[in-house]
Amino acid sequence: MFFRGFKAMIPITTGIIPFGLVMGSVAQHAALSTGQALGMNFIVFAGASQLAAIDLMLQHASSAVVIATGLIINLRFMLYSAAFSPFTQKASFLTKIICSYSLTDQTYAVLKANEDHFKTKNEALRFYLGSAVCMMLIWHSSVVLGFIFGNFMPPSLSLDYAIPLSFVALVLPTLKNRNYFYVAAAASILSVLLKPLPYNLGLLCAALIAMAIGTFLTRGRYAD
Amino acid sequence: MRIESLYFWQIVAGLSVGTFFIRSFLIFLSSHIRINNRSKEILTFIPAAILPALIAPLVFFHKGQVEALHGKERLFVLILATGVSYFAKNMLITIGFGLTLLYFITQS
Repeated sequence: MFFRGFKAMIPITTGIIPFGLVMGSVAQHAALSTGQALGMNFIVFAGASQLAAIDLMLQHASSAVVIATGLIINLRFMLYSAAFSPFTQKASFLTKIICSYSLTDQTYAVLKANEDHFKTKNEALRFYLGSAVCMMLIWHSSVVLGFIFGNFMPPSLSLDYAIPLSFVALVLPTLKNRNYFYVAAAASILSVLLKPLPYNLGLLCAALIAMAIGTFLTRGRYAD
Repeated sequence: MRIESLYFWQIVAGLSVGTFFIRSFLIFLSSHIRINNRSKEILTFIPAAILPALIAPLVFFHKGQVEALHGKERLFVLILATGVSYFAKNMLITIGFGLTLLYFITQS
């Protein structure tokens, strides 16, 4: 099962490799030291929030705003851990820690897609751990490659522009119906309008209002 | 341009502790609580709310150099790249298309 998980992850790496390369080269262009780039990558292990944090740090946003923005981006992991928690009910403390740390968009997606194939919770766990190991290997090596070779990219390539581009590719598959599209549109417009707010708070306010709009649009669906 | 070391590690510390908490607390509480479907549904709006809010000002307020597009070439490319990404459903193609198009627009 461990190897089946590992193998199931391989096709997904086409999405992880470019994201990791971008992460590495953005860290390099932001003049992070090797220790900083690798340290951040190992300790945080959440690409989208790391990219956003580097971008905000370059704008000298206050630490509280950078941390809050990153954490809001990562709040989606709560959804994954909620869906994942039935599998870990009887797992050991260490397994729970490893599973928590390695929870990502991709490992969650692979587990979700294979959910029907598991006979026991233990099988699901081993499958998950296999996919997580594959994910970490590929992610960390592509970040290191990006960090090393980012140096050779000419500035005329405007590599920083890869951040918004990668976010477009991340967000589009999550717009499952019209409601999600409205939330995304509201977030874009509000974030531009609220840009004058101090400490980059416009970003957080726009996201929170957009969430509230989504909550309002789907009200009353679970009235039971 | 350089990011100051103390500032950097403060943020990494806050981000990693917070992120680990977000990832782990439901897993550790799994035998004690259940999350209702409504809360799960609201959580699914997070990417749609936060990622566009990050992208939009970054691209909208960028001062570009292409006069024909009033310096808004990054916005122009982003709109096209969004279309490409929608059909291609692939990050590599999206990034490759966007960077290449921007390169040719700004170099010509």
